[in-house]
Amino acid sequence: MRLLLVEDDRLLAEGLVWQLGKAGFSVDTTPSAREAVVLGEQEDYRAVVLDLGLPDGNGLDVLRKWRTNHVSCPVLILTARGDWQDKVNGLKAGADDYLAKPFQTEELIARLNALVRRSEGRVHAQVKAGRFELDENRQSLKMDDGVEHTLTGTEFRLLRCLMSRPGHVFSKEQLMEQLYNLNDSPSENVIEAYIRRLRKLVGSETISTRRGQGYIFNAIP
Amino acid sequence: MRFLKKPASVKGTLLALLLPAGIGLMGVAWLVHGLLLDRMSREFVESRLKDEVVFLEHQIRDANGEVDTLQTGDYFQDVFHHAFAIHTPEQTIISPDTWEPLLTPLIENEEDGTVRVEDAETTDTPLDILAYRKSFQVGETPIVVIVSEDLGALKRSQAALHAWTAVVSVLLIMLLVAVLWFGITMSMRPVVTLKAALKRLQDGVISRINVQSPEEFHPLVLQLNQLLDSLDQRLERSRDALANLSHSVKTPIAAVRQILEDDTRPLDTNLRRQMVERLSDIDRQLEAEMRRSRFAGPQIGKSAYPIKQARDLLWMLGRLYPEKSFELSSSLPEDTRWPIEEHDLNEVLGNLLDNAGKWSSRCVELSVEQGSGFKRIVVADDGPGVNHKDLASLGQRGLRLDEQTPGHGLGLAIVRDIVTRYEGKISFSTKSCSGLRVSIELLR
Repeated sequence: MRLLLVEDDRLLAEGLVWQLGKAGFSVDTTPSAREAVVLGEQEDYRAVVLDLGLPDGNGLDVLRKWRTNHVSCPVLILTARGDWQDKVNGLKAGADDYLAKPFQTEELIARLNALVRRSEGRVHAQVKAGRFELDENRQSLKMDDGVEHTLTGTEFRLLRCLMSRPGHVFSKEQLMEQLYNLNDSPSENVIEAYIRRLRKLVGSETISTRRGQGYIFNAIP
Repeated sequence: MRFLKKPASVKGTLLALLLPAGIGLMGVAWLVHGLLLDRMSREFVESRLKDEVVFLEHQIRDANGEVDTLQTGDYFQDVFHHAFAIHTPEQTIISPDTWEPLLTPLIENEEDGTVRVEDAETTDTPLDILAYRKSFQVGETPIVVIVSEDLGALKRSQAALHAWTAVVSVLLIMLLVAVLWFGITMSMRPVVTLKAALKRLQDGVISRINVQSPEEFHPLVLQLNQLLDSLDQRLERSRDALANLSHSVKTPIAAVRQILEDDTRPLDTNLRRQMVERLSDIDRQLEAEMRRSRFAGPQIGKSAYPIKQARDLLWMLGRLYPEKSFELSSSLPEDTRWPIEEHDLNEVLGNLLDNAGKWSSRCVELSVEQGSGFKRIVVADDGPGVNHKDLASLGQRGLRLDEQTPGHGLGLAIVRDIVTRYEGKISFSTKSCSGLRVSIELLR
């Protein structure tokens, strides 16, 4: 499995190359952001370990460049700053996981393996309806003006269900079946609450109510 | 009116407002004074003319209408300061003679009462007169008496009086300006002392502002002193933290370095393990102190968007734990603001959710509510929960209930510290097969 390690601390990089190699990865390593951008786009890596504080640039910018150029391999970011906002920003920029320094090599390897497993068999799937684009991997909603909204799990599942068939009327029961399994027993008010929240994101004209029947997603261009 | 909205200086604004107002009012007073003076003098003259007509009538009646017997001439001119005319069918006496062209038309007019003649087209007579005409009968003889006065002379003396009033008014205005200036300067004096106090504070001469300030400035001084207190506290806290940190970090560093520098000593597994332990200690201490020093506590002018932040964190954790579901339950609008520093709120939400995420089996729910006077954050998971006897000790410093899930056990301690700093309450509860429920209530 080819892996790219972007890390500017030579001692740490050398140690990691050795340990990752033992764990079955064949590792390319670079200390510079510029080189990382090129390598990520040219080579086909199964996973990337990206340090955020690089001497010639910010790791997040590297990540954003990859993602805009459709480099879709899973990326784990290493950060020395344990700030929650940093973590959110990292994931928003397109990372799949983060690890705060210092870390144990076993944990890094375990996380990498999990990432690779997760990415296997995942098709880069996007549901498009009207002005909206639902990114399944990132569980987020993209507007036509480029703004990305983060969604919680249920919001995402509900919206995916509605957007999969624009113009189709989904009854509350159908939506509940999609959202919950047999063990849960949510009330129908829950659906209404989620619909209300989704309407705040997409606009109330996009999801309309058919009285007594259910909800429709209108794909307005 | 723009200069009123954005005053450059209080003194300037007060002067700009009060001075024109004072001058204007004084001017109006002066004008009113002029009008009143005019009216009063006219009324006075009128009543005197009437009196004199009555006096003349009395004289004429005494003389039984024999006008000739009246001692006209010098006597009347001495007693009367006014021109007069007495008309009988036989004769007309007018004194002084020069007034004849003015008074003759009035005699013929046949209308009693006060008459005013202006701009009379005659020469050698006053231009503006006030006259009182009365006709009566003595026996069978109709008699007309007119007494009149030259208003021009009156007006001239009135104008002189009015001019003097103007002079006095100007003097009063100057006095007013002086009083205003004095008053403003006096009432602005506390600001000057405050300014001086701030300067001395800046120079380090004094450590707190302690000036006799008027009531209006009390809150300002109080706020400033509170700000200084909190700055002091922060400095003290960070010094303490740094002292603790350096104490707890330097020793392990010394130990590790000593081992590494000694090249005669073999690095066996036991030694390596010990060194790793020491380094982990350093990391733990650093992490704890850094996170503690990062949070801000309640601060003026800082606020956060709880729903937006919660949404981002839930999304992030949903991505990190793809098999678990992180849900938000809240009816607050997206742009709700809470008076909590953004980073602090992130730390509270992040730690609670991360903790719940680690322990939950499938689902974590965050609910954010606010009512009148309270704000509540509840994080509930569906994990194994915590023993009742351990609930109270959750979030105590240095205590970890689990050893398997990675982490320093620091998260809850941080949350507890932040909540305490915001004078809020944190409570833990657990129900059988429903996991742990952490509830935070802020009263601000």
